Amino acid sequence: MAGFGNPTQAVYSTVRELVENSLDACEDAQRLPRIRVDVESSLSDTLTVTVSDNGTGVPHSQIPESFGRVLYGSKYDRRQRRGTFGLGVTMAVLHGQITTDSPVLIHTRDDKSHGVAYKILVDIERNVPVIEEEQVRKRNYEGTTVSIRLRGDLKRAQERVLEYLRLSTVASPHAKIQIVIDDSLDLTVGGLVDTVPVPPIPSKPHPRAADVELLRKLIDRSENKKLRSFLIDSFQQVGDRSASRLLRFVGLHPKAEVRTLNREELSLLGQALRSFDGFGRPDIRSLSPIGADDFLKSIESTFNTSLLRFANRGSCEWEGNAFMLEGVVAYGDEFPSAEIPTIYRFANRVPLLYDASECVLTKTLKRVNWSRYGARGSTPAALFIHFCSTKVPYKAAGKQSIAHLPQIEEEALALYRKLGRALNVFVKKKERSSRETKRIREFSKMFGLMARYGAALAGFEKAPPTSHMVRLLFEGGFDVQ
Amino acid sequence: MSNRNVVEVLTDLGRDVVNTLRDGEFPTFNLPDRGTKNIVYDSKADQFVLGNSRITRDSSNTKHIRSFAQLIWVAYFAKQLIEANRTSSLRDLYYSSEAFGVDFCDQAESDRIVLDLECLTGVPRESFGVFPEEHSSIFGAVTMRYTVRGYEGKEVDLTTSPDGLPVGRALMTAEPVSTDAEILLAVESGGMFSRLIETRAWERYNAVLVQLGGQAPRSTRALMKRLRDELDLPVLIFTDGDPWGMHIAQVVISGSANSAHIMGLTIPDAKWIGVTPSDIVEHTLPSEPLTNADLKRLEELSRDIRYTGGEWQNHIDEFRLLKRKTEQQAFSRHGADYVVETYLARKLE
Repeated sequence: MAGFGNPTQAVYSTVRELVENSLDACEDAQRLPRIRVDVESSLSDTLTVTVSDNGTGVPHSQIPESFGRVLYGSKYDRRQRRGTFGLGVTMAVLHGQITTDSPVLIHTRDDKSHGVAYKILVDIERNVPVIEEEQVRKRNYEGTTVSIRLRGDLKRAQERVLEYLRLSTVASPHAKIQIVIDDSLDLTVGGLVDTVPVPPIPSKPHPRAADVELLRKLIDRSENKKLRSFLIDSFQQVGDRSASRLLRFVGLHPKAEVRTLNREELSLLGQALRSFDGFGRPDIRSLSPIGADDFLKSIESTFNTSLLRFANRGSCEWEGNAFMLEGVVAYGDEFPSAEIPTIYRFANRVPLLYDASECVLTKTLKRVNWSRYGARGSTPAALFIHFCSTKVPYKAAGKQSIAHLPQIEEEALALYRKLGRALNVFVKKKERSSRETKRIREFSKMFGLMARYGAALAGFEKAPPTSHMVRLLFEGGFDVQ
Repeated sequence: MSNRNVVEVLTDLGRDVVNTLRDGEFPTFNLPDRGTKNIVYDSKADQFVLGNSRITRDSSNTKHIRSFAQLIWVAYFAKQLIEANRTSSLRDLYYSSEAFGVDFCDQAESDRIVLDLECLTGVPRESFGVFPEEHSSIFGAVTMRYTVRGYEGKEVDLTTSPDGLPVGRALMTAEPVSTDAEILLAVESGGMFSRLIETRAWERYNAVLVQLGGQAPRSTRALMKRLRDELDLPVLIFTDGDPWGMHIAQVVISGSANSAHIMGLTIPDAKWIGVTPSDIVEHTLPSEPLTNADLKRLEELSRDIRYTGGEWQNHIDEFRLLKRKTEQQAFSRHGADYVVETYLARKLE
């Protein structure tokens, strides 16, 4: 199972899926996320992960399907989100069930109830949820608590889990996450800013994303419209003129009723929508970049740095999905010294910790000649790169690396160069000032020797003081020892 | 200058620095410029001396402070030497610096600072008890009387050792008593020096032999000057036949830029006997082509004030024309005795 391949990764992935859903639920509720992660290890290799949030809660009717059915809930809701609800979390439920034969426990309260608790299993053969227990139980505030019992290696996963949570609050600095592991650890990270990010607006699909399947779905959901109105209503960046031009080009009548179109015509329409170059770029409001202020602040609070510079790129699209890249270059002794900066990858505010070498962001990093940007073997530099998109093209189901698409590579390259230039300016300045400090220290030493041997030569007991004169000479705030 | 006076000069130097610092000022020094452009001929002293150009060392200048501190330390070290009645070689001084937290990049740097101190105080380093490594020897029918402590009044015959005697502090300060010799012959290489002793050429030509060992150390030049003045021995110089050998002779005759601030080292009537470019032809000596470095050196020498005389310019022109050079040892081509029997016979008799 992707992401649950070994006992270490299983712990990490379970925490990750639950925390992502919690953060998304809080975003929907427009609240500052207050999340608690409890890990209790009852037996040496069996543990319970419980994640509790103050999000929207799950509507009761959707609970069984959301947690007990694989591939449920692919909504056509085009906006940046962390998780794909119903896929990731069900994998975690399934893994827990397979390894410990235990159901998932859900205790949730939405705006229409006082709380309800479920125990759910998955009928693996038929891919349907089995409700083991369902009861009304009061929850003090809106939100959801999910408990999964699984077999995993907590000892080895612990560092990864903490790293994941810490970096999650770098990408979501408004979130505060408390983690409690047995009796051994109680740590709170995040809560670095007090404002909830502007929520991304769900957008209609971009025409470049149109294929037969999508067209079918859109037609099913729409009333029996005329073809041109259907296009304008169903897609973004399509207006009267562009729709008319496109239909003339394909040879379909603008007044044709959409439900009457046959498979061939739909295929033709899809092809035209994807290749027509008269549409604007996708709507950027469906994205939620971290932004300069929050990104800089979160890294500054989390790491010990002496340089932080932010840069971003404009919005782009891959197959009709809006995406953009933003990043911060940091310099500080906490980062390893290397010829290539250390990279911290984020996709839709989720830190990516595994499979770095497979990721387009890492591969592109190696295409940049970092020595031109002042990076040497001794440079402790790091890059924090956030890829955000209405849909992240993950390379594999483990959701740890971004696929190698030429548009993304191009954008990443341009962003790296922008950040590289900032690094270069900083490194050069630092070298200059360390030369200056060295020069003053050397001067101070020599000046002291002159006074000392001058006094010895004259036969005086004591050398006259000199530090005030050195300070006088180098007025400008340098420290002289 | 007496030791007491030297100590006073050095103590004053330290007092100046400290007093300036106590006034909240940055000490400065004013030194004569030792660049080759600042060498002029002083007819009264009959030697080249430093001209009027001076340089200022300012301790508030980050580029000067290092050599400034080094200079004060060298002065302090020199004072210690005198008071303890000890001597030190230039190399010893270089290594001693580390124990005092003063560092020099290399010995060339510490040597340069010693020269600075000489220029600043007008006192030669020998008066501070600082000497170069001995690499020069003397042999011949001369009796000297030591003045160095512990040997006062003791006489030494310079033919005592068949290897010659090293020219150190003791010989440099010794007084010439008497001689049977008629000339002083300085040779560049140790090989030629030994040859002239072994073949008893020194007897045949009544010569005191001095081995210069490349550029002659100051102590050797001072000793030669003394023998010239007090025993009335004319000085002849025999070097390799190349621009560098010629310049070894020139420094003995008219001094070096580095020592132009020291009086009484030059022997203006000393004579370079060869190997000259025309000797190479005349004696059909094995030779090598001049290298680019050799030609560059000739170019520099041709513009050097010390080479103004017609004879010197002739030698330079001949080198340039011949484009070849040779060594003293090249005479061996004609047999081991040729240099004594034929070459020197022609030059000296």
